[in-house]
Amino acid sequence: MSVGHVARSFEQEGIPTVVIAVKAFENRMRSMALPRVLLTHELLGRPFGRPFDSERQTEVLEAALDLLEDATANGDIWEI
Amino acid sequence: MRQTEKESFEDFIKSFFYGSRSDLSFKFISDFSEDQASDFLVGLFKTLVDAVDDDDLAQVKQRIMEGQALSYGGGHLKGFTYEDGPFTPMEKPLAEARLSLLTSSGHFVDGDDPEPLGAKNMTQAQAESRIMEFIKEAPKLSVIPVDTPADRLRVRHGGYDTRGALKDPNAAFPLKRLKEIQAKGGFKALTPNAYSFVGACAQTRLLKETLPEWTADMKAAAPDAVVLVPV
Repeated sequence: MSVGHVARSFEQEGIPTVVIAVKAFENRMRSMALPRVLLTHELLGRPFGRPFDSERQTEVLEAALDLLEDATANGDIWEI
Repeated sequence: MRQTEKESFEDFIKSFFYGSRSDLSFKFISDFSEDQASDFLVGLFKTLVDAVDDDDLAQVKQRIMEGQALSYGGGHLKGFTYEDGPFTPMEKPLAEARLSLLTSSGHFVDGDDPEPLGAKNMTQAQAESRIMEFIKEAPKLSVIPVDTPADRLRVRHGGYDTRGALKDPNAAFPLKRLKEIQAKGGFKALTPNAYSFVGACAQTRLLKETLPEWTADMKAAAPDAVVLVPV
C-alpha cells in the first residue's frame, strides 16, 4: 500500500513508474488504480523469486521494463 | 505457557502473528478460522509428501502463495481505494532511458542505519516486536548509491520474512540484476542512487509528511522512469 501511494505521487508529478509486486498483493494494487503493475507468482518477501535465482530475477525485471515501454493507459496489469 | 496450561488451537493459530511462533511467511494463518487453519495445515503436510514423491517443490510454493493471497485479499485498504489514477507515458525508448529503483524492503547501507524509532542498531527481532510502533511513524528513506557492494547492503523490516533478502538482496532489491540488464543494453543508465524504506508505516503521515519531499527529490534526480517494489 505504501508503494502504491509513492507510485501515484510520482506519476502525478510526471514520473513514469512500474510496480513489481507478488500476486498476493493483487487486490491492493487494483484498489489503488496504479498505472503499471507486474504481478509475480512468488512468495511474500521475494517478489523477484528465490534467492540466487538470477535467471528468474532477470526475467521479472525485463518483463517490468517491457511493461514500462508498452503500457498506454492507467491500469495495465501483467502477470509473470 | 505451554509448560503450565493447555494451549487452545486458537491460541496456536494466533501465535504465528507476532506471537510465540511469529513467522512472517505464515502470519496469515492467524486470520483463518480454526477450520480453515486445520484444512490449510493438513493440506500443507500432504503437499509436502507429494512434493518429495514428485521431486517438485512448485506445489508447496503454490499452497503457501494461496494462503498468503487469502490474507491480503480482504478489504484492508481503509479508504485508500481509487476509481482511477494518474498515468505518465514514457517519453524515451528504454535504450535512451535513465531508471531509478525504490523499494519498501527496508534495505540500507552498512554505516547509514536510518535508526527507526530513534533506536541504534535495531535487530530484525526488535523490529518485529515493535511493528505496532512502526505503523504509527512516518517512514525514513534510505539513499543507496548504486555502486554499493552487495556485502555492504543491510536489511531490516518488521513486516515480512527477510530471510530471502538476507541470503540475496536481489530477491527484493534487485540492484545487481538491474546493472546487468543495463550493461547488456536493456536501458541507458541508472540514477546515482537507489532508495529503500520500511513499508510498514503510518499511511496518512507517508502521504502528507513524507511523500511531497520524496517526490521532489525524485524529480531532482530526473529519472525517465522508476521501478517500484512493494515488499
